[in-house]
Amino acid sequence: MTTTMTTPATFMVENCAMPFCKGCGHSHVLRKLNDALTKLQIPPSKVNLVTDIGCIGLADAMFETPHTVHTTHGRSTAFATGIELADSVLSDSKLKTIVLIGDGGAMIGLLHLVNAALLNADVTVLLCNNFLFGMTGGQHSAFSPLEFITPTTPDGNIIPPIDMCRVMMDARAEYVARKLATDKDLGEVIAEAIQHPGFAMVEIVELCTEHATGKNELTGNEIRNVIEEQGQEFGILSSATSRAEFGVLYADKNPRDQAYASEKGDDGIIPQYQSTLKQQVGIVIAGSAGERVQSAAKKLCEAAVVSNLHCTQKNDNPVTQGSGFSLSEVIISPNEIFYTGIETPDAVIVVSEDGMNELHEKHLLDRLTKSTVLILDSSLMKPHTEANIIEYPFRKEFGGAKAAMKAIEFYVKQSEVFPVEALAPVT
Amino acid sequence: MNHTQTSIKLRTGNQMIAEGAVKAGCRFFAGYPITPASGIYKSMIELLQRKGDLAISSPDEISALAYCVGASLRGYKAMTATSGPGWALMIETVQYALMTETPLVIAMVQRLGPSTGGATQGAQGDVLLTEFCTSGGYTIPVLCPSTPLECYELTVLAFSWAELLRTPVVILTDKEVGMTTESVNYEQLQLLHAAERISHLQKPTNGRDKAKTYEFSRLSDIPKFAPVGGMLKVTATGSAHNKSGELKKNDAETLEVLHHLEEKIKRRKDGLAIVKRDVEPEANTLLISYGITARAMEEAIHIARKQGRKVSGLHLLTLFPVPEKQILNSLGQVKRVVIAEENLSGQYRSVISHLMKTQEVVGINKIGSMITPQEILKEVL
Ligand code: SF4
Ligand SMILES: [Mg+2]
Repeated sequence: MTTTMTTPATFMVENCAMPFCKGCGHSHVLRKLNDALTKLQIPPSKVNLVTDIGCIGLADAMFETPHTVHTTHGRSTAFATGIELADSVLSDSKLKTIVLIGDGGAMIGLLHLVNAALLNADVTVLLCNNFLFGMTGGQHSAFSPLEFITPTTPDGNIIPPIDMCRVMMDARAEYVARKLATDKDLGEVIAEAIQHPGFAMVEIVELCTEHATGKNELTGNEIRNVIEEQGQEFGILSSATSRAEFGVLYADKNPRDQAYASEKGDDGIIPQYQSTLKQQVGIVIAGSAGERVQSAAKKLCEAAVVSNLHCTQKNDNPVTQGSGFSLSEVIISPNEIFYTGIETPDAVIVVSEDGMNELHEKHLLDRLTKSTVLILDSSLMKPHTEANIIEYPFRKEFGGAKAAMKAIEFYVKQSEVFPVEALAPVT
Repeated sequence: MNHTQTSIKLRTGNQMIAEGAVKAGCRFFAGYPITPASGIYKSMIELLQRKGDLAISSPDEISALAYCVGASLRGYKAMTATSGPGWALMIETVQYALMTETPLVIAMVQRLGPSTGGATQGAQGDVLLTEFCTSGGYTIPVLCPSTPLECYELTVLAFSWAELLRTPVVILTDKEVGMTTESVNYEQLQLLHAAERISHLQKPTNGRDKAKTYEFSRLSDIPKFAPVGGMLKVTATGSAHNKSGELKKNDAETLEVLHHLEEKIKRRKDGLAIVKRDVEPEANTLLISYGITARAMEEAIHIARKQGRKVSGLHLLTLFPVPEKQILNSLGQVKRVVIAEENLSGQYRSVISHLMKTQEVVGINKIGSMITPQEILKEVL
């Protein structure tokens, strides 16, 4: 009987028969991983194997005691990253997550590998590179050497292989190694990678005995040459520890404070005035981006709430938020507001040319009736409309940035929708 | 109406989803910006980071959801938020969460589609895409708030359902609900408490205890949860598996697990239905709607009654599982059922119209702008 305190003799299923083809590199990798875990004496409950799709994804069943999470193709590193982020920030950061992924999955999930490396999440990726997609029939992958013959490159591969170790180092991974599955010291290197605080990647070059040999005259001894001929090095290519793990940096910036209620320091408004408004009114405010149109509309809403009214506010602007028109639609009402659109506005406030153009564009001015108040900056051309037009030189007198707010103040005074003092605490 | 001494805040639906999530005990958010859902991302960064909980950006939507699944597997309540284009990327991982019985909440703030569509235009065109995104057609609970208050309350509920059912749950809103700022009376917020997932006890054991990761006896039972990193060994997989989480092909127990995934939701469907009924016994017309359009419907009902007309309304706050019982119970004597939704073909109508055996079924459909109360009034008998 074992306890979690003693070193388990193995993490694997006893006498397990490997499900791989005879001579497949995956069998070596899993045995060496087991050696590494045994050597490191990590309690099995703190070991988590996250597997990808493909032959290497059959690894789960070989392991008796660690957690295993079998995921989708290419995504294993992303799931592993989520587990480790939560473990490091929300838990005790004791879990060790190891990803087993093939060369096919590594290219699908390139983004996930890159981001795990950038984050420096405590994930160890064992990338089993056998130059091809084994499970689906040996199709070539982004790792296939030039001239490699596969069912999908019958005349030899013409696309150069990716150097994943270099990609990982460019993504600031600090532990990066390339080994052969048959290397005697593979177990030690895997152990080092797992122990490394933060992201680590070991590319393990191996042979798919089912698909890689035969047409390619490839043997276990020759794959070292194949890799070296394409300018890729073997060995531990980086083992620095200059960067702290993500969880450490995050905790530094965001110290734990569970007492911080979500509403703490919040901007609740206490109604202080009463409005005599009997019916809902819809107000459209149009001006230019950067001239505080939407924030003035927000102040109108705040003042409405101070006056014990309900309100809604919708904003609109061009996709590039810093130029062109800026528009707000505000509804204020003594009763609950259901529909939040404004069919026929009760008031329209226009303080710039951009705003006017947009209202024309929206055909909003066509919808105005005799009972609509149209408050215009004096600089603007009067549109043809039945609305009751009031002009005032807001821009000239107060400048562009204050025009919207002053026009709103003017409207509140003129319409008496609520006491104008209600604007005071907010203007 | 007297608000005196009550605290009112100006809030968007997006902000209220974030506040609801934190209230529900969400401690992990991974986000990727997309209009009109970005407000949730921004609020979660503010709310979680100041507590020391984790809110993080991801390099794409696929990673965002995968990070959330990972956090949930580790034992923490997790959420992400997106819109149609992001949802399209997440579907693979939504299915993974469903298959691995991983609790998860996704806020889906709809915009005009298809493809990148109209980023700043509202729509209710992703109803079917949201629900019918799994291979095999499994039921994903979908809640559909129409106001900031409902955003808060239904988010708390979404977490309860996700945790208790061990499944992904979607909060489906749209640009108008998500981005419109409204006065919210916090006194009206119901004091809700989100449920926790039912977990195995984590006591120190001799060796590794062997609890099956997906153990259940009746098909509808929910397996007890054990976190990755806890004392009990977890064997999780998105491939067809038996109760122990072992990859199997078509054996009886594996098929049982596949049935169980649907059965655990189906068995509870009457309890997973929330509607607001406003029924007048003599009405000839029943209006049915959801989300932002339900508010136009409510205003239409208000106007109709002021005019002395009789009309009934059914506001659906949950769309899936389909609240069949509640819909059937609302039909009464009506001759006509009018279903209003802001999409081209009447997506939800296509799901529920078979329930109306004797009534005429009429759809009000539109894209590009909100359906107005007047457009709905026209169809009232
Ligand atoms: S097909 Fe290739 S990778 Fe798969 S088990 Fe066989 S040898 Fe190994
Ligand atoms: Mg391969």
